[in-house]
Amino acid sequence: MNNVKKWFVYLLFAILIVTQLYPLLWLVMYSLKTNEEILGGSFFALPNIPQWHNYADAYTSGSYLKYLGNSVIVTAISLFAVIIFSSMTAYAITRFKWKYGQYVMLLFLLGMMIPLQATLLPLMIIFKNLDLLNTRWSIIIPYTAFALPIAVFILSGFMRSIPTDIEESAFMDGASVYRIFRSIILPISVPPVMTVCILTFINIWNEYIVAATFISSEELKTLPFGVYTFVSQYSVNYGNIGAFLVMGALPVIIFYFILSERITKGMVAGAVKG
Amino acid sequence: MNVLKVPARTIAIFVLPCLILYIGTVFIPILVSFYTAMLDWNGISDAKFVGLANFKTLLFDDPNFWMSVKRTIMYAVFSIIEIPICLLFAILLNRYIRKGNRLVTIYFVPVILSNVILGQLWKTIYNPASMGGMLNGVLIKLGLDSWTHSWLTEPAIAMYAIYFVSLWQYFGYHLLIQFTGVQNIPDEIYEAAKIDGADGFKADRYITFPMVVPIFKISVVLAFIGSLQAFELVMVMTGGGPAHATDTIATHMYNMSFLSQKYGYGSAVATFLVIFCLVITVVINGVFNKIERKVT
Repeated sequence: MNNVKKWFVYLLFAILIVTQLYPLLWLVMYSLKTNEEILGGSFFALPNIPQWHNYADAYTSGSYLKYLGNSVIVTAISLFAVIIFSSMTAYAITRFKWKYGQYVMLLFLLGMMIPLQATLLPLMIIFKNLDLLNTRWSIIIPYTAFALPIAVFILSGFMRSIPTDIEESAFMDGASVYRIFRSIILPISVPPVMTVCILTFINIWNEYIVAATFISSEELKTLPFGVYTFVSQYSVNYGNIGAFLVMGALPVIIFYFILSERITKGMVAGAVKG
Repeated sequence: MNVLKVPARTIAIFVLPCLILYIGTVFIPILVSFYTAMLDWNGISDAKFVGLANFKTLLFDDPNFWMSVKRTIMYAVFSIIEIPICLLFAILLNRYIRKGNRLVTIYFVPVILSNVILGQLWKTIYNPASMGGMLNGVLIKLGLDSWTHSWLTEPAIAMYAIYFVSLWQYFGYHLLIQFTGVQNIPDEIYEAAKIDGADGFKADRYITFPMVVPIFKISVVLAFIGSLQAFELVMVMTGGGPAHATDTIATHMYNMSFLSQKYGYGSAVATFLVIFCLVITVVINGVFNKIERKVT
């Protein structure tokens, strides 16, 4: 291939790095500037003196750690519930002899097409009657339920490919299904479970509107909702807003930095199988 | 293979907790929503049963609704136009760049961030220059003062500003999906084609394109469904304003339900959204089944 063409392709992909990453880098610089610098129109310039105190200010005037903690709790419980529920159901669908397995599967496939937003209002009415509004459960329940279809789908696809011989002999030897499930099936299923974890984690961790609809107390806000609140409250202190946005993005960025290969693979696997 | 004969009680233990949670949270609300769509209700005073009146208003007397449908479809059209471009990039990446995987990982970063962060980031970029907005600032620096806009508050362009963010965000996603598809085509096929004289674009025409159809379909379905549910980004960036200029079906539903407190009417929009999603999914699958039969 001639060199001009080659360099043209390189240039193209270099430009793409800039378009995809520069806005984020710009945000980091923004977060380290003074209000004067930001308003003064030095758009590409590095901050004169990095205003690290923007971060300190954002940290003290917001409740970053509280939001972060809430997100961790909500995401952890939801993830745990998704894994347990979906793996048990997937196992029952792929292995047990019963009439309704196919119908249960169909129900989950159908659920993939139902938009979460359409359930917000009825869920609010239901949660209000159950006194669940403004509790962690009001977001954990929908997060878990809406993550189930894809999880069941991925896990049952995998479990179908596990040979049945081991289970049959274990069954003959008198092991209970619970035992087989816990000691044989779950350990083999770790790779697809990881895929489910990654998909579910990204979705739940970033979710905003369910939290904003069902949660009102400052004590229970998750990170995206907290970031939103902070930005609308401190809308004149640009540096602080930038700092809080960066802090809001940081956990996922760190997570992605460590596990990027796994995350991209998991998300494609989720997309392809869904 | 379904081989294990277990008592009904065991099946119940394995399936019921999951199923109850799932049906209770996904399907029951949809049914409730079908019912509340037939009420005139603000959530506080007594509900009045009005039959299909809400749907009648929705379909015949709510210009904002049809505009929101149009915007939702436009959202999908733009998202889908992006996919062939991603495919092109994926082919180039696979052919000319050695560590293509690494690059895609970089392009993927916006995909994993919350809509709240991205929405707020782009709001600051779109800000007027006097508030430190980068886009307008750059235009002024380039001497293109007349091109500056208040991107998110001018009704004529606000929606395009949002489409752009969405395309920017999902570029890496579709690129990665297409790239995976292109990578999975075995090299031997290209080598064989080369011997037969098919090279470069010709090879793409007869090998790459037909072989990525299934993956292409996945991207299209995802883009379509994602657009129909276009919601969070709009809520964060404009909330559907100014004056409904950026409402999509989902934000129209949300604003009607939660801001205007028209529970019945909002439910009617939600019902429409659910049916719309189901119909579109069936249609896309049908279209692609036809295409797949044609190319294979």
